Amino acid sequence: MSKHSALNTFGRSGNPAFTRNFEQVGAIPELERMTLDGAVNKTAILLCLCFAGAFIGWNSPALTMPALIIGTILSFITIFRSPSKAGSTAPFYAAFQGVALGGITVFAEMQYPGIGIQAIGLTFGILASLLFCYKSGIIKPTENFRLMIFSATMGIALLYLVSFVMSFFGSGIGFIHSNGLFGIGFSLFVVGIAALNLVLDFDFIEEGAEQGLPKHMEWYGAFSLMVTLVWLYIEILRLLMKLRSR
Amino acid sequence: MNTLIFGLLTIISVFIFMKLGKIKASKKQLNRNDRINWARNKKPNFDEENYNTKIPEEKNKQINDQSEK
Repeated sequence: MSKHSALNTFGRSGNPAFTRNFEQVGAIPELERMTLDGAVNKTAILLCLCFAGAFIGWNSPALTMPALIIGTILSFITIFRSPSKAGSTAPFYAAFQGVALGGITVFAEMQYPGIGIQAIGLTFGILASLLFCYKSGIIKPTENFRLMIFSATMGIALLYLVSFVMSFFGSGIGFIHSNGLFGIGFSLFVVGIAALNLVLDFDFIEEGAEQGLPKHMEWYGAFSLMVTLVWLYIEILRLLMKLRSR
Repeated sequence: MNTLIFGLLTIISVFIFMKLGKIKASKKQLNRNDRINWARNKKPNFDEENYNTKIPEEKNKQINDQSEK
């Protein structure tokens, strides 16, 4: 009996962000290989761009929707195009998502003053604590762990999609947006799944550096981390808004 | 006060990420048999085991060829 019986039954994860990336390993010169330093530095660059974009979005909230749409399109382009070109799209993705997040935060701040800095603090707090847990080996991601997180992420995405489509017909899935116990519980669950996605990103970057993947994968790893951080920030903001509205 | 606490939390966390992110994970994390196999689609263009065993064979062959001459 295989150790990963669930994987044998349901097949492996098909997440396009995490597949078809470990190619050409072996014949790459030392200087052209992915490193941990490079991936962290590129994440820092993306974060700086995101904060710069957020400054623009904060001062011009009208740009929120266009920036959100452009950012989403750029994320799909980065995922489905060759990972070697992530360096050309990931910075634009971070900047546009920053503008969108800045605008969203302004709307949240108008309703609940001080909520923005709380969400930012919690997002980075979770990032640092999970990184510590991963590096020290407290959290050990396995194939089953990945399968579980990927299934939950896809389930949440499907639920949001159904809710979005239903909103065009004047209805929706009530508990997702409610500030009742069930709504808050759902938000907590989503924040948990978004946070655990960070562990998968750390593992992807760690193994990429260990295997000596091409240098451009540093951008791809930083982009994956950025996508998760943006999602985590939005979910934490939603959770805090629900809690404050009670 | 709220801004100060969460602002400090943000700065400290980013600092931790920048420092800790560049350090290799612990052996407890890396030396496991049940690690995620991110390289499952890796192309078989470099077979380390065969590479290591083929080199001595090749050398032996060359030495034998030279000695025969």
